[in-house]
Amino acid sequence: MLTIAPMIQINGLVKNYGLNPVLRGVNLYVRQGEFITLVGPNGTGKSTLLRIVATLLTKTAGEVKIGGWPLPEHAEKVRRYIGLVSHQPLLYGDLTAAENLRFFARLYRLDNREERVMAALKTVGLLARQRDPVSTFSRGMVQRLTIARATLHEPDVLLLDEPYTGLDQDAARLLDDLLRKEQENGRTIFMITHDLVHGLNLCDRALILNRGKIVADLPSSQIAPHDFLDLYAEHTGRHGG
Amino acid sequence: MTSFNLNNSPFWAAVWAIVWKDLQIEKQTRQTISVMSMFSLATVIMFNFALEANLAAARQVATGLLWSTILLAGTLGLNRSLAIERENQTMEAVLMAPIQRGAIYLGKVIGITLFTLILELILIFVFIIFFDKPLWRPPVLLVLFLGTVGYIAAGVIVTSMTIQTRTREVLLPVLLLPLSLPLVLPAAMAVAAYMFPQTPPFAEVQSPISIVIIYDLLMLSAGFLTYHYVVES
Repeated sequence: MLTIAPMIQINGLVKNYGLNPVLRGVNLYVRQGEFITLVGPNGTGKSTLLRIVATLLTKTAGEVKIGGWPLPEHAEKVRRYIGLVSHQPLLYGDLTAAENLRFFARLYRLDNREERVMAALKTVGLLARQRDPVSTFSRGMVQRLTIARATLHEPDVLLLDEPYTGLDQDAARLLDDLLRKEQENGRTIFMITHDLVHGLNLCDRALILNRGKIVADLPSSQIAPHDFLDLYAEHTGRHGG
Repeated sequence: MTSFNLNNSPFWAAVWAIVWKDLQIEKQTRQTISVMSMFSLATVIMFNFALEANLAAARQVATGLLWSTILLAGTLGLNRSLAIERENQTMEAVLMAPIQRGAIYLGKVIGITLFTLILELILIFVFIIFFDKPLWRPPVLLVLFLGTVGYIAAGVIVTSMTIQTRTREVLLPVLLLPLSLPLVLPAAMAVAAYMFPQTPPFAEVQSPISIVIIYDLLMLSAGFLTYHYVVES
């Protein structure tokens, strides 16, 4: 378990794709157990930022630390403490729900694998469908299994990239409940979303990213949804949905 | 002291996890081996009909035809195996696990090599039936095994590089077949030397077999050491 605070520490982060700058000096501090929502227009670098924290991309300049460990030098160590939920399921459609989780349990070398796999399936309400291939699942079921995969190794930091994409209202509500449970379990959650009001309702702090920089960072308790929408429009020149 | 216990080493645990996953997917879908087998059988049957008028010529080119079929079927297996990782971007989840990139590479090489070896077993019997060649001999099986390891070791590197490109189906054979020439030529020579009833002296095949082994070691080392750069942005 990582205990060093802040859980995520980013100073002057710069990321260029060739000559094209995407992140232009991002500073961010996330405490352990905090739920952060990051919003911003398309192409402002939200996913790039998340993928750097997820150790899937390397930075061009600046400092990124997870639990006090700098990236990318300690990426392999840090990966044990991170879980990623993307709008892509990151699951094998030809394997069953249980086989998918067994595979990731083996990759993370977890103890009591079978018990943990069954407990994870039970938590997300898929125990009865454990022997069914993932390709037969609905989008909502796939996303629940994605949460089970991302939290199977009990990560301290849960990264969410547009997790509500393609979910109907019931599935979105189930995902809300699962995320609240994860936050109660003390996980640090860092979520990217296009749904400003929904993101604001779930989080402790809301951030707006525009043109590669964080332009607003506010506690969600101190701003009403309509004020947040106005602030978003003011900073980005676009209307949030 | 370094432990080489395959069950306790995190590296080998990751390698076997990757292999186990690929075998499970093949068990469920049976797509890779069946596609490779169908393609190979179609190729052999076409050549057999094309050369039917001249059986002696067919027998002379049988070794080359065997290797050509293995190489082309191998590219299908490589494409399929890496496409599985691309479909739902599952490679990202694998890359996020606390494992060495070399373990992912080795796991993929072992998995695809197993599928190709199964195909080769089928092909050997097909070639014995169609071309009456003495392929079921330990030295031939050894050269086929060594050649397959080298080809797949090179293929996993190339496929991992090309899989994100739009022209991956074209790029893979265009890059891989020339890269595998230094392997295939000596391997075909070594197999051809065993196509006569009398066993050739080892000195005759020592040089081609040595080249195949050196190629295997080079490709496995290159893949193991550079896979990190191949799969990460």
